[in-house]
Formats: sequence, C-alpha cells, structure tokens
Amino acid sequence: MKRYFQFSVLSMVFTYLLIFVGGLVRVSGAGMGCPDWPKCFGRWIPPTSLSQLPDYIDPEKFNLVLAWVEYLNRLFGALVGLIILITFVLGYLHFKSSKKVLFSISGAFFLTLLEGWVGAKLVDTVLDPITITIHLLLALIIIGLIIYSSIQAYFAIVGNFEKDSKYHPHAKNVILGILFCLFIEIIIGTEIRGGLDMSRKDNPLIEGIILLKMLGPFKYIHTILGFSLLGLTLYLRKIIYDNKFKSSTFMVNSVNFIMVLIFTQILLGEALVFFEVKPLMQLFHMWFSSLLIGLSVSTYTYWRISLEP
Amino acid sequence: MIKKSYIISLVVIISFLGISATWVITKANASIQEIPAVIKKVPDFEMVSHLGKSFNQDSLINKISILDFIFTSCPGPCPTMSSNMRTLYRQYKLHPDLQFISVSVDPEYDTQEVLKAYADANGVNDNRWKFLRADMESVKKLSTDGFMFMSESLPAGHSVKFVLIDQNGDVRQYYNGTDAGSIAILRTHINSILKNIKPKV
Repeated sequence: MKRYFQFSVLSMVFTYLLIFVGGLVRVSGAGMGCPDWPKCFGRWIPPTSLSQLPDYIDPEKFNLVLAWVEYLNRLFGALVGLIILITFVLGYLHFKSSKKVLFSISGAFFLTLLEGWVGAKLVDTVLDPITITIHLLLALIIIGLIIYSSIQAYFAIVGNFEKDSKYHPHAKNVILGILFCLFIEIIIGTEIRGGLDMSRKDNPLIEGIILLKMLGPFKYIHTILGFSLLGLTLYLRKIIYDNKFKSSTFMVNSVNFIMVLIFTQILLGEALVFFEVKPLMQLFHMWFSSLLIGLSVSTYTYWRISLEP
Repeated sequence: MIKKSYIISLVVIISFLGISATWVITKANASIQEIPAVIKKVPDFEMVSHLGKSFNQDSLINKISILDFIFTSCPGPCPTMSSNMRTLYRQYKLHPDLQFISVSVDPEYDTQEVLKAYADANGVNDNRWKFLRADMESVKKLSTDGFMFMSESLPAGHSVKFVLIDQNGDVRQYYNGTDAGSIAILRTHINSILKNIKPKV
C-alpha cells in the first residue's frame, strides 16, 4: 500500500514535469518537430543530419533542435505513461477495497492512453487549435485524478487525518466553484493563445502586443474571471481561518498556496498583456494553472475526507 | 506554518525549470530563424506575365519570391498548391517586398487571357502575384536548369514544390506546396528573411 502511495506521488511529480515539457514544446514552436508519429522522420532515434531522412518526408521539415525537443517530449511522455501504468497495477493489487483510489487511478491510466493518441492526432492535424486544447485539458484531468487517488490512498494508509477538521458549510461549493472557474479560465486562456497564433499568421511580423489588442473581449473576460477567482479564494481562506470551524494544516497550506498562485497568475497575465508576449512567461502562466487545478482538487479531497468516519 | 525548506526547494525547482526552458526556447528560436543556405542562382530567363508585362531574372532582385509551376486546367495537385499560395498571398498583403510567381507549364492552353482569368479567380488584385508564360522550351529550361526539376512529362508531371528565392535571385529552399506542415515552415522562413531585410514593419 505504501508502495502504491510512493508511485502515485511519483506519477504526480512526473505528470507535472510532463505538462511543463509539453508547454515548452508549444512555446518553442517544436510541435511539428517530428512530422510523423510515433517515430520521428521514420526513425526511433531522430535523425541528426539531412542524409538520414527517408524519401517520403519533405526535407525542409527537418530542424535538428525542434525534432529533438519534440522527441524528448514523447520519450518523457512514454516514461510517465509507464509510471502511471505501474501505479495503476499497484492500485489493483493493494486497493481492491478502496473504490475511490481504484476508480481514479484507472481513469487516470486510461485517459493517459487517450492522451497519447490525442498527441498523435496533433501531429496528423498539424497542430489543430481545438486538439491542442483537448490535449491540455486531458492532462489537467489526469493530474486531478492522480492527486485525488494519492490523497485517498494516504487516507487509507494513515487513517483519517481530517477527523478533527470541521469545515464551513459553504466550503464545498466554494471549492467546486473555484475548480469550475479554473477550467473555464483555462479554456478561455487557450482560446486567447490560439487566437493569437491565428492572427499572427494573418499578420506576420506584427508585434504580439498589437495582435493581443486585436483579439477583442476574450482577454477581458479572462481578466475578470481571474479576479473573480481571487475573490472566491479569499473567501475560502476566510472561512478556512474562521475560528468557529477547524481546518487541517493540509487544507490551510493548500488554500494559501492557491492564493499566492492566483496572485502570481494575475501578475503574469497582466505582464503578458503590457509587455511583449514572452514565451517563458506564457509557459509558466499555463503551468501554474495546472498547479492550481491540482491544489483545488486537493482541497476538495481534504474536505471530502473530513466527512468520513 | 509552511516549512522554509519547502519554499526554498520550490523556488529552486522553478528557477531550474525556468533556466532550462529559456535555454531550449532560445535554441529553438535560433534554429527557426535560420534560413537555409543558398542552393543555386536562378539562371537568366524571359517570360511574360498575365498582365502582358515582361518578367525576367532581374525581376527577382530586391524581392523575396515564392515560385511554383502549375497549369490552369490541372485536375491534380495544382488547386491545392494555388489555394495554399492564395492563403500566403492574402496573409502577406502588407508586404510588397514579397512576390508570388506561378509559371504555367502548359503555355499552349494557358494564354495570357486564361492566366488573367485564373488570377482573377484567385482573388489577385495587385501585382504581388504574377502568372508567367513563355514557349514550352523556355519553361522546360527554367524548370530543369533553374530549379533542377524533372520536366520530361510536362505539363502533368510538374513539381508540387514551392521555391523560396531571396532578394539576390538565389534559390534558398524547396517546400511541398500541398503540405500544411511544409507551408508552416515556409512561413517562418519568409518571416525571418523579411525581418532581415527590413528591421520592423
């Protein structure tokens, strides 16, 4: 059982790293670094020179750096898939009785397979924007399921660590509200990003900031929802700290971390608007949003466990 | 409440990720900006555009050119090629330094009037996209000597490649004119050449 917990934490860490690497592929423009899938230019080890290219692939597509960036993402993806598979098997061996652990890790595993397939479709469709969004959303659902199963496993191992906690009756709805808003916010965010790419194609060589201005109301909704999320989090923090109730350290830390991250996200987001759209900032803006999903799922799970006997 | 060591390790991890990512992004950017080396010079040629104007090797100088070989009655890949060319033509409307050239490989059928109608059908309303014709011998010569294409079985057996020609009249790269991935790469190459000849638009 403990082994399962260790592996599920490992799955979580590696999935987060993979989300970062995936974002890196996106911001560095390496998505089509390998024009085929799963091989790269017809090879299991990407080519290092033009002479190694097969006849059926146009040679102009070869860019050594982009090919390796994309291929390392795939190799890392395969590694993460393997770790999640092991976690899934361990879950079956040790948690037959705990449906919560078993269902969530099974879901995570099957969605990971689906995620690999969507990754292949991305290459097929030459980075279709909707497919990119699905690729990201699936990753967020997977990380949410892994975190949920880890915490539930921890509960099964150490007993109810939330038994002394008592949360405000609004806590559940506020947490679910945060989760819901986060998902909407992320979808709008990917729309902004995709729209930026489209208008960049139609207006080559125009600065990102001007393009961003051309995007219209989307980015305002993104900002407004961002501040609403901050409001919800501040309210959650208030009821978590309310003396009439009792919160676990896990809960308090998670909520504080969420608050710090949302502040950071608003600053990063505004920085993206007011300065040139910098790839590194874009990357962290996306990655922090995945951390926020994970933390919100954690708070939900702590609340859920506090109801258990 | 949260241990200091946690915060420190978080900062260390984020810095490490940030530095590695910066390195990768810089490398990737440099590699995208890199335009392929000169392949060869476009030889002398003399053709007439769909507007009846003369067009020769000197018309390539001080312009970035995207050139392909098509014929208007082509059932096969030409519609896709022209559609991709049309998209680029539309996208780069603010860049008069970039010209598009489609050479007919069926000059017998593709008279000046036919080419003019084809240009109109493709929404050509300025002189950035030219449709050229000449006698079959000259077309074959340009295709073979100029761009190293096979031309035994013209018109049907023409190449589907787009050719990128720089401001000195040198061939820089070939792209599959029917493939979205290749066109995306062509776009980045066009952008990086345009940035080099003009600092900012």
